[in-house]
Amino acid sequence: MPGSIQHNASVPGAVPNPGSAAKAGPLAGIVAAVAVTAYAAAFLLSESQGLILALLVGGAVAAGLAVRVGAHRAVARSLAAHGRLGDGLAVGMVLALMVIFHDDHYALFLVATILLYVVAVLGLNVQLGFTGLINFSCASFFGIGGYTAAMLGGHTGVPPLVILACGGVTAAVVGSILLLPVLRTSGHYSALVTMAFALLFKVFMEVNDAFGGPQGVDVAPMRLFGWDFSSDVEIGSYTGSFYLPYVLLALALAVGAFVLVRRIERSWIGLSLDAVRVDEVAGACFGIDIRRWKITAFTAGNFLAGVSGALYAMMLAYISPANFTFADSLIFLSILLLGGIGSSWGVVLATAVVVVVPEKFQVIQEYRFIIYSSLVLLMILFRPMGLLPRKVRAYRRQA
Amino acid sequence: MNQERILDCTGLSMHFGGLAALSDLDLFVNRGEVLGLVGPNGSGKTTFFNVVSGIYRPTTGRVVFQGEDITGLSPQRIYHSGIVRTFQRSRLCLELTVFDNVMIGNHKRLDLGFWNNLVRRGRFLAQYEEGVERAGKLLAALNPALVARMFDPVGDLPMIDRRRIEICRALVGRPSLLFLDEPSAGMTHDETRQLMDEILNMGSYSEGLSIVLIEHEMNVIRRVTDRCVVLNFGRKLFEGSYDEVAADPVVQEAYLGKEVEEVE
Amino acid sequence: MDFGLLTQFAINGLMLGMMYALVAVGFTLFFGVLDVIVFSHGDVVMVGGFAGLTTFYWLDAIYPGLSHGLMLLWVALASMASMALLGIVMARTMILRLRSAPPLNTLLATMMLGTVLREAVRLFYPNGSNPKPFPALLPDWSLDMGHLSLRLDNLILFSLGALLIVSIHLLITRTRLGMAIRAVAQDAETARIMGVNFNAIVFLTFALGSAAAAFAGIMNGLYYNEINFGMGLLLGAIGFSAAVIGGLGNIYGAILGGFAFAFLQTLGAVALPFASAYKDVFAFGVVILIMAWRPTGFIAEKTSERV
Repeated sequence: MPGSIQHNASVPGAVPNPGSAAKAGPLAGIVAAVAVTAYAAAFLLSESQGLILALLVGGAVAAGLAVRVGAHRAVARSLAAHGRLGDGLAVGMVLALMVIFHDDHYALFLVATILLYVVAVLGLNVQLGFTGLINFSCASFFGIGGYTAAMLGGHTGVPPLVILACGGVTAAVVGSILLLPVLRTSGHYSALVTMAFALLFKVFMEVNDAFGGPQGVDVAPMRLFGWDFSSDVEIGSYTGSFYLPYVLLALALAVGAFVLVRRIERSWIGLSLDAVRVDEVAGACFGIDIRRWKITAFTAGNFLAGVSGALYAMMLAYISPANFTFADSLIFLSILLLGGIGSSWGVVLATAVVVVVPEKFQVIQEYRFIIYSSLVLLMILFRPMGLLPRKVRAYRRQA
Repeated sequence: MNQERILDCTGLSMHFGGLAALSDLDLFVNRGEVLGLVGPNGSGKTTFFNVVSGIYRPTTGRVVFQGEDITGLSPQRIYHSGIVRTFQRSRLCLELTVFDNVMIGNHKRLDLGFWNNLVRRGRFLAQYEEGVERAGKLLAALNPALVARMFDPVGDLPMIDRRRIEICRALVGRPSLLFLDEPSAGMTHDETRQLMDEILNMGSYSEGLSIVLIEHEMNVIRRVTDRCVVLNFGRKLFEGSYDEVAADPVVQEAYLGKEVEEVE
Repeated sequence: MDFGLLTQFAINGLMLGMMYALVAVGFTLFFGVLDVIVFSHGDVVMVGGFAGLTTFYWLDAIYPGLSHGLMLLWVALASMASMALLGIVMARTMILRLRSAPPLNTLLATMMLGTVLREAVRLFYPNGSNPKPFPALLPDWSLDMGHLSLRLDNLILFSLGALLIVSIHLLITRTRLGMAIRAVAQDAETARIMGVNFNAIVFLTFALGSAAAAFAGIMNGLYYNEINFGMGLLLGAIGFSAAVIGGLGNIYGAILGGFAFAFLQTLGAVALPFASAYKDVFAFGVVILIMAWRPTGFIAEKTSERV
């Protein structure tokens, strides 16, 4: 996986005794971030399949070499020593890509898609990664957000920014229908409940004319302060793709979701969620309110999926039930498992790989499902902790 | 006897289908005492813990704890009322750190509000520092080496340290009544002896702490308990001091006979 | 609604129910023996259908004049044997490997395996992304009474399915092998100590369940006259639902659950005539409700929480 190692670095590791680790400089982290940005830009710029293949192989080799010489540890130390640096560098990377590709619709669309998927999978991470709640209908909640945007944008005058929130709330509310069975069941049984819901949702959307049926519906674009996101950006003589504002807004959402999820993880709430996942009975014997945390996690995860789904639908301008199938839920799940279950930076890395590689490397586009599922299968068998395994909790950012 | 009864169970029965794991059991615990609960496998010792700690709801009977009827309450409520237990097979969260595991036991003192956890990080971190200090003190009392490993996953530690962490997790919330379910399981004789001494020393951490101990090692029972209750087939077979228990022919016949000789 | 149409619905429901029961039996066998949900099972049904179809193509090319009866026999045997083998390979390479991992991992791994099977057929079977017509190997004789037609092929299919389930049941309850399976299901450790070859029993179970799935796949092809690469996903979800409704680990429950699900679908189609397209929405909705009401199905799974 190209770039995986550099990202590994940005997981602020839990250093048990801050005194024992020598303070590393920020240089290694910055160099790594620049390298990853350059690599990502080169990847997005490449057109020829040969070149892309070369980049993929080169990236994998470079990552392998970096691990061999221990560069990843240097980067990890550097970023661990400067807690906010990794987050800042990640945002900087996206901004850099925005400048480089300011008039490239397709590249920007991919970047925005990554960011929105990150939000949805972070939601899934709260549910499955932290709390152990199995949710096979993530794509359905993503879709509920999208359809909310389509309905509210098409038939009402609700301001689009409010529509985003409504998308999240609707997903959370519809999800609450599943709460009773999800709370009462566990393991295989709640897997069945969410699976049944995913299948039900798609069929329902197909046969229901009010939501456009199998053909789908148009979605009104985002508008913010009178600024219509569907037309190209023009500031003076500078022209940018109309996807630029989407990328910015998606970045804001992703940063918000990321900060939220990290804070959840590094708080008593995250501890309680972990306790629910690891051992419900023991947790209950120490006063942990299992139901409360399951409800919290399920609702928060669906909310994130709904919000990102709403913006995604606005960006696509058109959605249909085929966008939100059970197979798509499995993709979201695959991203989480590939990145490392519970690992927020793993989500970011895996989303980037899963979204971009098949889009650019068209040869495998047709084969992407079989490739993902084989990869995830191998991952579960041989490296169940994923590419960037979750680190033990450090409540305090190493500053 | 004018001692205060902290726990008083009357007529406790627990049926699973046709099987009576407990039948008509009367059992009390005095404040500050160490009560040994002994009996052969399947005699209902762990079932008794499960019933009192709220995992099972008893078929019949009443559990009164510090004057309050807690029969059939949820495990959460019972924890908050001051009863804490350990488990026969260690049920620590192996992938979480030592600190996390101890803090799970401190749950009643944690502020779980969204605002203070997610937004007012300063307040949260103040509480966190307080937790580190509290956990550090407890761990240091059991094994000072554990303090340095406070942020290592429990899975990396040896069995005796895991048992110690379980004890810390149970004691950190300052319970009034502690149930220990075979703390010696999986440890050598020496380790067991050491751990029991440590636990008894810890009694001072929680003032007036009462302990109910399930244990197969009879020398442990002899050394640490003030009083013993012998269970057999879910019924109380005998009640008294260790010496009385060991001397009783009925108990010897049912259960102890051979093992007492081994100990001597 | 007239009697003929209702009977037609009933026959339809019975056929579907038998198919679902055959799939559910696999889920329940695997769960009984190993406490795992093998979600790829639905796709094994699909691959079984395709294996049968391939056998037919070969036979048809080599012995063009072979009678339909013999043809069906070979198609069924080849498909069931190859799926039994696939089941053993799956058990050996994945399921046993994941025994010590959290149960969720098995569910996810088998779900991914299901996707691999599905996609492999779509991509690599000749023209695999389109529905394939399945040859009519059963006599097309039927008894017509007004709206109602009793078809001989349906009767044969139903009887064969019932025969298969009854044989599996007898194998498990009446033979030494079956006793070993039950012993492992009861307590794998003890069974091992008593000299039961644990791995062999697991392989046998997977062979049995997968063979039943292969038969369900062929039955599906013969009943609908076509098969397609995507049919396993829904069949898997339905079989899983059926096994859960009936209570995992219980063969009677699986049969009951299979017919219950078919009944729900049929009821959805009859009761919602204005929108029979909602029948799956209805059936899965009811499954969700049942899970809320009886979290481990109607015949409760025996659980022993060892604390």
